[in-house]
Amino acid sequence: MDKQPAREDDWVVVSRNLVELVRRHHEQGAPTALDVLKEAMDQNGEITDDDRRLAAERSGLPEATVHGVSTFYEDLLVPRGRRHVRVCTGTACFAATGDAHVDELAGGLGLSLGERSDDGSLSLAETVCLGYCHASPAVRDGDVIDAGPDAIERVLADAAKPAPEPLVESLLDEPVLIRTGDWSGLRKALAETTPELLLEEVKAAEVRGRGGAGFPAGAKWEFARNAEGEPKFIVANGDEGDPGSYIDKVLMEDNPHLFLEGMALAGFAVGASHGFVLVRSEYPRSKPELEDAIFHAHTEGLLGEDILGSGFSFDITVIEGAGSYVVGEETALLACLQGLRGTVSARPPFPAQRGLHGLPTVVNNIETLANIPFIASHGAEAYRALSPGATAGTKLVCFNERFERPGAFEVPFGMTVRELCEDVAGGMRDGRSVKAVQIGGPLGGILPASRLDAVFDFEPLVAEGCMVGHGGIVAFDDRTDMRDVARHLLHFGADESCGKCFPCRIGLRRAHEMFVSNAPVERVSLEELLEALELGSLCAHGSGMPAPIRSLLAHFPEELGLA
Amino acid sequence: MIRIKIDGEETLVEAGTTVLDAARGLGREIPTLCFDDRQDAFGACRVCLVGIEGAPGPMASCTTPVRDGMKVDTLDPASRRVATAVVELVLSELPRPPAEHTELAQISRMLDVGTPRWPGEQHDVKKHDESHPYLAFHHELCISCGRCVRACDEVQGTFALTATGRGFGANVAAGLDEGFRASACVSCGACADTCPTDAITEMSLLQLADPEPVR
Repeated sequence: MDKQPAREDDWVVVSRNLVELVRRHHEQGAPTALDVLKEAMDQNGEITDDDRRLAAERSGLPEATVHGVSTFYEDLLVPRGRRHVRVCTGTACFAATGDAHVDELAGGLGLSLGERSDDGSLSLAETVCLGYCHASPAVRDGDVIDAGPDAIERVLADAAKPAPEPLVESLLDEPVLIRTGDWSGLRKALAETTPELLLEEVKAAEVRGRGGAGFPAGAKWEFARNAEGEPKFIVANGDEGDPGSYIDKVLMEDNPHLFLEGMALAGFAVGASHGFVLVRSEYPRSKPELEDAIFHAHTEGLLGEDILGSGFSFDITVIEGAGSYVVGEETALLACLQGLRGTVSARPPFPAQRGLHGLPTVVNNIETLANIPFIASHGAEAYRALSPGATAGTKLVCFNERFERPGAFEVPFGMTVRELCEDVAGGMRDGRSVKAVQIGGPLGGILPASRLDAVFDFEPLVAEGCMVGHGGIVAFDDRTDMRDVARHLLHFGADESCGKCFPCRIGLRRAHEMFVSNAPVERVSLEELLEALELGSLCAHGSGMPAPIRSLLAHFPEELGLA
Repeated sequence: MIRIKIDGEETLVEAGTTVLDAARGLGREIPTLCFDDRQDAFGACRVCLVGIEGAPGPMASCTTPVRDGMKVDTLDPASRRVATAVVELVLSELPRPPAEHTELAQISRMLDVGTPRWPGEQHDVKKHDESHPYLAFHHELCISCGRCVRACDEVQGTFALTATGRGFGANVAAGLDEGFRASACVSCGACADTCPTDAITEMSLLQLADPEPVR
C-alpha cells in the first residue's frame, strides 16, 4: 500500500499522529512534554523515569516519545548540582583564549565538563553560546553570566558578577533596527491600510530573511496567507544559536517592542491571530524581558483582542528552548515549540503550508521581523533606499572581543568587510593583527586577512565561499592555530548534529575525528567527506559545516597538517 | 497530470507523486535505506539521491515532488558518489557487518561500497534486549533510519518506540528504554518487518540467522 498522499499539501512534517496528539492537548491547556521535563530538571537537577512518566501523563504524549525528547536536548542531559556552572565554548570564547578558560575553570572546580560532584553541590557543563562574545570568555554561574578576562577567577572565588552588556550603535542617521519600538507602524497599518496592501508593501520592500537563508519574507507571508487551514500562526525564531552572534539577543532583550510590533504586523498581513517566540535557554534574560514587554503592550491595547478598536486581534506567547543549535532550523524549531525532539524535517511541506500543529505558519527570524515596522511606517521605497545598489534595508552585525570596539552595529549593506572590521569595530585590540574572520556563524566561510576587501552583502560573500548568515563577525588574531579552528568548529558541528540525516550524523563525527588526533589529515578523503556532507545533508547544518573547512583548506593548507 | 522525463524516458504521473515513486514506476532502481512505501517519506538516509536539471545539487527523490517538465537523472554521478559515501559511513558505525540478507547489505552490494575511507568510532555493543518473547533488539546494528518508530506510529498506532539521543549517539528505544517487554509493545512485529539491518528481529528469524541458541 502506498501511503504517500497524492496531494502534496498533505505531506507530513514529523509524525501526523504525534502532531495531532500535541494539538489536542495544547487546546486543552496541557503543558508540552518539554515544559514538564525542563521543570523537573530545574527542580531536581536530573530527570528520572518517574519524571518521564509524569511528563507523558501531563502532556498526553506516549512514554517512549517523552523518553526521546528527554535524551535530545542539552539542558536535559547534563546532571546539575545545587550550584551549576556552565562555561561558554562558543567561537568567540575560543578565539579569546584558545579554550584555556575551559581548562582553567574545570581544573579550579575539580570537575570535568558534564560532571557533578559526588555530594551534589556543584556541577560543570559546556554551553554554546552565551552571547557575551563582546567580552569573552563567558561563564554562567546559576543565572549570573559573567564575562571578561577575570571572569573565571571570579567564578572560582564564588564571586561571579553580571557581565557588561555590549555597545549597540547604528551607522544610520535614522536607525531602522536600533531604535525603540513605538508601535507606530502597527498604528498606521491598522488605521490606513489593509492586510493585502501591507503584504504588497513588504513584498515590494524585498526584505530578505536575516536568519541566514535570505529567503524573501514577503513571499513566505504570501504562501502562508494563501495556504489552506485555520488558524494560522506567526513564529519568531529567536534561537540565535550561532556562536559569535548576539544580534537577536540585543533585539529581544534591549528593544523587544520593535520585533513584537513586526510580529503583529505579520499577523495582520497573513491573517494570524497568535504568535510564538522561541527563545534560547542560553539567554536567561530573554523570556522575562519579552513577557514584560508583551504585558506592557497589552496594557496599551497594542496586543490582545480588538487592537486599537480595529477588529484585529493578536497575542504572543514566549517559549524557551532547551539547548540545541539545530532548533534554529525552522522545521526543528516548530518541533521544539510542540515539545518534541528538535530534529529537522524534509521540505515540502514548508511551514507556510503545514507548520505548528500542522497549520500554516510563518517562521521569521527576530531581525527580519524588526525590519517590518519601518516598512509599515515609511513604505517599501524608503526601505530599499537604505542600502543603495545592494540588498534592501540594513543589517545588524556584531563583533567579538578580539576587536577594539566590539559591539552590535546597524550598517547598510555594501560596505567592505575591512571597513566593518577597521572603521566600525576599530581593528584588533592589544596590537594584534587579524589572521582571519569567520562571518555569519559556524556554517559561514572564513575570510583570510588578505581578502577583507570583500563586500558585505549576500552575493559578494558567496563568491568568497562565505555568507552574511546571521551577521556575527568573529576575528581570529595572528596567534591562532588554524588546525585548532577546524577542530573547534567540527567539535561544535558533530555535537550539535540532530542525528536525523545520515551524512551529518556520521560524517561530522568522522570529520571531527580526523582533526582530533594529531595524525596527518588525508586531504583527498577529507574533501570526499566534505562533498558527501555538503551535497547529501538534509539541512544547512550538515551542508554548511564544510564551508569553513574548505576556507581553511584554501587559505591555510600548510597549517592543517594535511597528508 | 504532470509530464516528466526520467533518464530520457517521458512519463505522465499524478501531481503530488514523488520523484522516487515516478522513477520506480518506470522500473528504475534507486537505492534507499529509510524509505518504506507503507510509511510517510522521511528523507533521513540521503541514499535515494538523484540529479534534477536546474537543481543546485543532488535531491532526495523520496521527498521531492514531481514538477511539470522536470528532467531526472537517476544515475547522476554526484548523486551516486554521495549515496555511496553515505552507505560507507553507515557501515563504518556498525561493529560488525550486516547479515547478507538485510537491505543494508543489499544496498551496499548494489552501490559496490568498498573499504570505509573514514573508519572511526562505532556503536557500543550494549546488552541485547531479548526480554520479549518474539522480538529482539540489538542496538549496535541500529542506523537510526526511523522505520521501526514510524511503523509503530503509523502502521500500528502504538508509539512503543522512539528515536533517542542526538548526533552520532542517535538510536532507538522501546518505551523508557527498559526493553520491549516493559514497553507498550503489542507484539505486532511491524518494526522487525521493516528494519533494514536486523537491529530488530523476530526471534524465530534470529534463531535461524544466529548459530548460537538464543537464551
